[in-house]
Amino acid sequence: MTVAAKGVRATATGRFRPPAVPAGAVSLLVGALGWEALGWLWQVPFFPPLSAVLGRLVEMVGEGKILGNLAQSLSDLAIGFSISVVFGITIGVLMGAYSKVEAALGIYVNALLTAPSLVFAPVFFSMFGLSRATIVAVIVMYSIFIIIVQTTAAMRVAPGDLLEMGRSYCAPRSVLFRRIILPAATPLIMAGVRLGMGRAVKGMINGEMFIAVVGLGKLVIDAGRRFDAESVLAVLIVIVVVAMAAVKLVQLVDARLTSWLPSTARGA
Amino acid sequence: MSSVGSSAIGQRIAASHTTYRVLTFALFAAAWEAYASQARSLLIPRFSETVIGFFTLLTDRHFWEALFISNQSLVLGFSIAVVLGIPLGLAMGRFRAAERAVDVYLNILLVTPMAALIPILLMSLGLTLASRVVLVVLFSIVMIIVNSRAGVRQVDPSLIEMARSFGASERQIWWRVLLPGSLPAVMTGVRIGLGRAVTGMVIVELLMVAVGIGGLILEYRGFFKADLLYGTVVIVVLEALALITLARRLERRVAPWARQSGVMERA
Amino acid sequence: MIEVVGLNMTFGGLTQSGGSVEALRDVNLRIEDNEFLTVLGPSGCGKTTLLRAIGGLVTWNSGEIRIDGRAVTGPGPERAMVFQNVALLPWDTVLSNIAFGLELRGMAREDRERKAMELVDLVGLSGFERRMPRELSGGMQQRVGLARALAVEPKVLLMDEPFGALDEQTRRILQEELIRIWERTRTTVVFVTHSMDEAVLLGDRIALFSARPGTVDEVLRVPLPRPRSRDIGSIERSAEFVAIRSRLWERLREMQPDLRRPAPVARIAS
Repeated sequence: MTVAAKGVRATATGRFRPPAVPAGAVSLLVGALGWEALGWLWQVPFFPPLSAVLGRLVEMVGEGKILGNLAQSLSDLAIGFSISVVFGITIGVLMGAYSKVEAALGIYVNALLTAPSLVFAPVFFSMFGLSRATIVAVIVMYSIFIIIVQTTAAMRVAPGDLLEMGRSYCAPRSVLFRRIILPAATPLIMAGVRLGMGRAVKGMINGEMFIAVVGLGKLVIDAGRRFDAESVLAVLIVIVVVAMAAVKLVQLVDARLTSWLPSTARGA
Repeated sequence: MSSVGSSAIGQRIAASHTTYRVLTFALFAAAWEAYASQARSLLIPRFSETVIGFFTLLTDRHFWEALFISNQSLVLGFSIAVVLGIPLGLAMGRFRAAERAVDVYLNILLVTPMAALIPILLMSLGLTLASRVVLVVLFSIVMIIVNSRAGVRQVDPSLIEMARSFGASERQIWWRVLLPGSLPAVMTGVRIGLGRAVTGMVIVELLMVAVGIGGLILEYRGFFKADLLYGTVVIVVLEALALITLARRLERRVAPWARQSGVMERA
Repeated sequence: MIEVVGLNMTFGGLTQSGGSVEALRDVNLRIEDNEFLTVLGPSGCGKTTLLRAIGGLVTWNSGEIRIDGRAVTGPGPERAMVFQNVALLPWDTVLSNIAFGLELRGMAREDRERKAMELVDLVGLSGFERRMPRELSGGMQQRVGLARALAVEPKVLLMDEPFGALDEQTRRILQEELIRIWERTRTTVVFVTHSMDEAVLLGDRIALFSARPGTVDEVLRVPLPRPRSRDIGSIERSAEFVAIRSRLWERLREMQPDLRRPAPVARIAS
């Protein structure tokens, strides 16, 4: 295939190829060095060098600011995301299985998927006040709709010939669902869950920034108010790590659940 | 949707869909009305109040001014994101080396909540239009880049090879194969990017720079004008939906040969 | 005249294991002007790779390909290819797909469309010139592919299993059409196929390929008279046809791995 793509040059047989250094690591290192250098050269308060940011991060961890807030954030994330997964998949399955449910909810789900989710934060605020419930609600708002939409679509990917095969053995609907429809749907559902996790982390940070009473988002807001760029960026690094780790976690679960898929069929 | 022969059936299905949709909405409105009258909170308007608030806003000069201010950053930021993002994404799709170098950063940007950068923007650019525009660009450009890149990459390699076999130059390959071939995905990126841009516009105003629509929402919250607060939220959502519907139309119009461009949002 | 001399080609590092695959080993072939050469072999034997090499789409390790004495270093105007998956531009009409090669050469729009219309007639697509590729059946799409290649009036037509993806009836009709067209144009053709019947029916000579490494096993002359377009049915029943076909099968049968015996561990090109 690659050959067809670009007319890859054929190379001599048995030529030694050095083990590939992961390009990502190299370019992260280059980026880090570039950040450090630019930080020193460009003496502005809003762009401190990386070393200063990391130093501040260590300080903040030492002062106990990071871990407590991180725990708060993660517990909100866990609650909100669990709600999204449970209700999202349930609603998605219902919409996929019953056309009436789909008719009733479809356009609203799609509308809320595309609408800017944070605009509902003031609404949740009016309902739940300055509490963690507001943050959890924002997280759910961010993540549930993509899971619903993907699950609904997933219910329709079961290959027709497999379904016919099942029916030819007189399998009842419940068996068809458990043995054919659900396994076939798993990859797409998990894709939805993965996307939902990415969104949930964003919802968590944005919600916390809006409410500004707990969590990493609050740290960002506080640091911003003090014009303390080092702290903002230090927290941002934590946020990026949390976000990457959260998505990675879902990917690991996904790989477990869908190990029967050929690796080529796996989307990134 | 329905073929010629079954248009009557199609209509009947569509009609029953509409019934269900309306029913859902009525149920939702009734539940809201009940919840609000039972909650008796200054900040929770009833559904009926929100409807009135919605129309009040539409006749309010103050509101239209706020909407105008917000949309300035949207229009500027989104345009910049499109103009920069598409060529960047296309180039990354074609040149593997560039792609490998930037890939890890794109993945970071895709999952990073951009809102956390707002304090840095304010420190560097202040409470200006520029800082709002930059944030809108940051929100929308990543999806545009990612989809444009995917668009180039998913162009059928046999088409490129075919063109080369007829002696096409790199320029001709770009114009006749890569650009038209990636157009559907690029348009998808533009649509998703537009959604992100609206999000960015609202977020920056809600979280840091209390101007425009976001400022208005916070103002109404401060004065307990719950009906207007909810009305504003509804209008923002409607604007987002209208823009995205428009973009989706354009997407279909521009690339009728693409059944469904498969590129989706990525986390 | 096309000369392939001592061609060796290895794909390096394309397999998952990172090893390299010897695609072609010491391929020698000579194709005369106005000759129809079919290249037959088991799948994965490198026959398509050879065609792409002649087309100038891949580079090789050693050896040379010459066309009328000039070494091939890339695609050239004297060659045109027909692809197995047709590779039509989905955003263009049939007409502008056929005119694509002419367009790339900078021919003015009216000129190339006039030329393309002639080919629309030749391949029997009259009335379909404004359709989009997705509106055509597989057989019609391949007619467009053939017309596109013929439009640039190549000295050499390189055809890569063009009918491989078609159903049998459609394939048969297109074979007949190709014979008819070829007997009019007498372009030099290199035609890759995995169908024995097709190889015999179309070719003046057959280059039989063996796999791993891909190389020319033997070259057979097809003792069937030309023109063949008039009575294909009786050609197929002729003793000569049956004889050469069973000769080919004998050789190909020997090349097939025996599934009942444990297979030798072989690297398979991915």
